[in-house]
Amino acid sequence: MSGGGKGRGTGGRAATGGRAGGRSDEALWWALFSAGGVMAALFVPAFVIVTGFLLPAGDEAVAAERTAQFAAAVGWWPVKLALLGVLALSLVHCGHRIRHTMMDLGLRRYSGLLKVPCYGGALAGTIWAAMLLWGI
Amino acid sequence: MDVKDTVMLEIFRYHPETDSEPRFQSYEVPYNEDWVVLDAINWIKDHVDGSLTHRWSCRMGVCGSCGMMVNGEPKLTCAAFLKDYYPFGIKVEPLVNFAVERDLVVDMDGFMDKLQEVKPYIIRDDVNDTSEGEYRQSPAQLAQYKQYSMCINCMLCYAACPVAGHEDEFLGPAALALGHRYNKDSRDQGQAERLDVMLAGEAIWGCTFVGECTVVCPKHVDPAGAIQQAKAMAAQEYFKGFVMPKGTGVSKGADG
Repeated sequence: MSGGGKGRGTGGRAATGGRAGGRSDEALWWALFSAGGVMAALFVPAFVIVTGFLLPAGDEAVAAERTAQFAAAVGWWPVKLALLGVLALSLVHCGHRIRHTMMDLGLRRYSGLLKVPCYGGALAGTIWAAMLLWGI
Repeated sequence: MDVKDTVMLEIFRYHPETDSEPRFQSYEVPYNEDWVVLDAINWIKDHVDGSLTHRWSCRMGVCGSCGMMVNGEPKLTCAAFLKDYYPFGIKVEPLVNFAVERDLVVDMDGFMDKLQEVKPYIIRDDVNDTSEGEYRQSPAQLAQYKQYSMCINCMLCYAACPVAGHEDEFLGPAALALGHRYNKDSRDQGQAERLDVMLAGEAIWGCTFVGECTVVCPKHVDPAGAIQQAKAMAAQEYFKGFVMPKGTGVSKGADG
């Protein structure tokens, strides 16, 4: 801390002036992040419980039949589409959080550049998920 | 009460004209069950060391002047009771994330600039003549923003916010909540120009919803909630921009 001089954070801003750059496109990423948060919080844990614990539970033969029925339902295209939506938005959510964490860790000036790996990664994951779903 | 009862206060001291760097000074203060930390600091100033410098005014959680770090937490010292710390020592420091002017007094200029930036006043395109009376508002319309109008500018939220500490472009909790307060006011027509400020760069998007601002707020303003609502409003406006050309939006009260 230093007295009187320019500090960091709240003490150090220049006097009121116009903010350069106008509105940022962050609204788009935040909206996708927000939607993805709902998906990741509500549906992903349910999927983990259903596919990881409930389907394989109990008698092996019954579990196999149950799993086959579930797989058949996933083969229906509206279910595939819904799954893809959940996965895509969850991945964007993840990418956005990683990007902002990197910014908070000191890479703030690369916030634009960070979009490439973060949202690009989410896009790649979405394409991979789409290919997997297509194959079912 | 036993007169021998005392409590130790360790206070941040810094006088820029003589001190090359800050130091801590300990004071033994009589312990009163109904004293707050501010009473103890005032007692030191009156009885021990008149050079101790701090801000205070109302002593009742209204003026927002006496915000300091008490044992590392941003607190209004007029609302932090000694009995909640007794018999342990109490460490008092100026609010973090601000430059220190002297002892417990911080530089508020950056904060004041940010408050002004969000245009915290009612903006009208069409100003009624006073003979037409007031701009009327229903209780439901008042409830839309009332909570966000309770801010006393004590800056505890800026001391609690990790983003405010390292991102100068970030407007910060109180200023954003205040901007949102006017955006939600049915009498206001300045949402578009206010959003131009709030949505630029990291002004609002720097917020990562840590939520500490709301935790420390002594007036239950919930700045974190206001910021989330403002972000949602911004996202709506963003997508509306694709559907409707700029200027024909039907957002609350704006545009004719």
